[in-house]
Amino acid sequence: MSMTKWTITIQVYRQKGEALPHYDEFKLEVDPDEYVLDGVERIWAFNDRTVCFRHACHHSTCGACGMRVNGVEKLTCITPIREVTQNGGKIKIEPLRNFPVISDLVVDMGSLYSNMERVGAQSVLPVTEAEIERPLRSWPKEDSQYIRLSDCIECGLCISACPISTTSETYLGPAVLAGAQQKGVRLDPNLLRLVDCEDGPWRCHSAFECTAVCPSFVDPARRIMLLRQQIVLERLTRLFRSEPKKMTVKEANR
Amino acid sequence: MSKPIAIIIGAGFTGVATAHDLALRGFAVTIVERGDICNGTSGRTHGLLHSGGRYAVSDQESAIECIDENIILRRIVPQVIEPNGGLFIALDESDLAYRETFIEGCQTCHIPVKELTPQEALKMEPNINPKVLAALLIPDGTFDPLRLALSFAATAKSNGAKFLIYTEVTGLITDGKGSVTGVKVLNRKENKPEELHGDIVVNATGAWVGEITQLVGASVPIKPTPGVMVTFDQRLVQRAINLLNKPGDGDIVLPQRRMVVVGTTSFEVKNLDYVPVVEDQAKLMFERGSKLVPGIAKAHTRGVFMATRPLIGSGSSGRSIARTFKCFDHKETEGIDGFVTITGGKATTLRAMAEKTSDVVCQKLGINQPCTTKETPLLSYRQYYMLPN
Amino acid sequence: MNINRNQPSPGKLLQWFNPLGRKLSFSGFTLNRVSALGLTLYLYLHLIVLSLLAQGPNAYDNFLKLIHNPWFMFGEWLVVAAGLIHGLNGLRIALTSLGIVVPQQKQMFVFLMVIAVIGSLIFAFRMFTTF
Repeated sequence: MSMTKWTITIQVYRQKGEALPHYDEFKLEVDPDEYVLDGVERIWAFNDRTVCFRHACHHSTCGACGMRVNGVEKLTCITPIREVTQNGGKIKIEPLRNFPVISDLVVDMGSLYSNMERVGAQSVLPVTEAEIERPLRSWPKEDSQYIRLSDCIECGLCISACPISTTSETYLGPAVLAGAQQKGVRLDPNLLRLVDCEDGPWRCHSAFECTAVCPSFVDPARRIMLLRQQIVLERLTRLFRSEPKKMTVKEANR
Repeated sequence: MSKPIAIIIGAGFTGVATAHDLALRGFAVTIVERGDICNGTSGRTHGLLHSGGRYAVSDQESAIECIDENIILRRIVPQVIEPNGGLFIALDESDLAYRETFIEGCQTCHIPVKELTPQEALKMEPNINPKVLAALLIPDGTFDPLRLALSFAATAKSNGAKFLIYTEVTGLITDGKGSVTGVKVLNRKENKPEELHGDIVVNATGAWVGEITQLVGASVPIKPTPGVMVTFDQRLVQRAINLLNKPGDGDIVLPQRRMVVVGTTSFEVKNLDYVPVVEDQAKLMFERGSKLVPGIAKAHTRGVFMATRPLIGSGSSGRSIARTFKCFDHKETEGIDGFVTITGGKATTLRAMAEKTSDVVCQKLGINQPCTTKETPLLSYRQYYMLPN
Repeated sequence: MNINRNQPSPGKLLQWFNPLGRKLSFSGFTLNRVSALGLTLYLYLHLIVLSLLAQGPNAYDNFLKLIHNPWFMFGEWLVVAAGLIHGLNGLRIALTSLGIVVPQQKQMFVFLMVIAVIGSLIFAFRMFTTF
């Protein structure tokens, strides 16, 4: 936190009820080491109480405060103002893409949560399994007793940034496929049927934007590729052993 | 017979837990919240699932509440908890002197405590200060703040509770005979005023309870007390690390996902809606945190923020006020019926706060329904977004 | 429910070609599609041109005289460039799609595109100096 103060303009996307969206501008005095979320909160506290925005933990664990800042997906509670503008500059804040807007900066992420639930993405898991294969450091074996919250905070930034999610409503999306990869199709035949479809990892076309915007080290792009490996291996393995009971789509989707 | 109607103001921990409890007891519950779930103090808790050790000497009522609720939460909502325990470590003579009192306190409050040698502690947690002189293991934990609340909210929703978010209370509706019968709200999503009527209005706005009570000229002795938290970008420890001494500033370091969080401080403030970070306090967290876990000195700051705790009671500094909670029935305090306020407490005791409040509400309305939240496992937090309102 | 202006829809396809606010790998995504469209268009044109052969040697010879102007040659050079970009980028995508070399895919992209640029420049030199 520095002692200097910057004067910046924040342009906020506004949308209420059935009215057409527009942008409101607010001039603020801020500390440049404060976060973009603090800027939005200041606007709500001191300038305009009608601004709707979602936030909870302010420390990148809840995933509530995802927004587009100057067109790029950011988790605003850990994005310093200094990173996105300079003294006298402007910040444009818009809701995430690819989710219906409820009001102003708040979007409805029901589809993301619903799909995460369908693939059974784990919210807590042993620390030794939480990082992607070939982890950054080797974990001592005793550490497998420790449980931690998974990396994915279901913030929706990856889905907002994904070009396929922009044009397809049914594509499962990076976060969901990453969650499925973490779970592992080999252990769950239901999951295999659910993700090995036209809206699964085969629909990804390697834009890698998801990994670029993920604030939480999930690396969804890599996980999607590893999910493909899992599926191919599992399908090949099944070819050489007796087929499990074929399920109807309805059963698989329960 | 139709369900009794409860209106809860505030969707922080207390609000959502009370909604869950009342919904289980057969109430038709509506929560109104001017922001989104947990956007006030509740979201910003550092996430320590207290074992009660911190309060085992100075505030034993609080400590017993904590250990009881710790065990219950681990049972009913494990999907949002990192259950890896915690250490209280001594780094100097003053800490060592506290050791006996601390162990006695824990034993009095039935908090399981196990003493470790410094070598054992360092083997368990290689990143704590290597000059550790004594270490005590207690069942602390870490939880995800928003997801804890969402789990309660999801279960409440599945039992019929309605959540009206971005809906701000602008006034309380009274019947002219000294009773509150509803709330006037402004739906901020569409800029539309609305009115809701109910048999009981529960004020669960935490640090903001004073703003709601003053709408009918009532008051509660609330002392909003903010504190700073700083997060660093490495998971240096697997457990909560506490300083073995009287509760003070910056004496907790706990892990969450790939981070550690260091907290906190205590001071007073007038404007609750925006509390800017005080640079000196953030620096203090860095220094104190580095004493407990030296690796913090080399880690990068990921976030710095303030959270305003609702402390009850008049008197001196924030640390000396009890951290327990209280439910105020305004019929008893100001002769206003149909209106109760619940505030104080801490995140770990949310279910107990809800139980007490729901007991008061049921007693007021002559409803005989026992609390079942101790044994009811909570639904997946994702269901909150999936279930229709 | 409110107006769902922000929903995914096939109509937003043009966003695939907008590099604003995007990282480098997105350009790889866009380039692959642009070069693919270009090569497909070329394929159709090529088939049309080849059909001239059925119309006898004169028709084809007349056409060959036509394409000796710089604009056509530039077009043909674009085809070469598109082929190099699409092929080399495709190599990267083929590898990453199977989970191979994913953590280094950005460096691979830069490296392969540098080769594509060098290759295109060599072709340009050879095409236009023998012109």
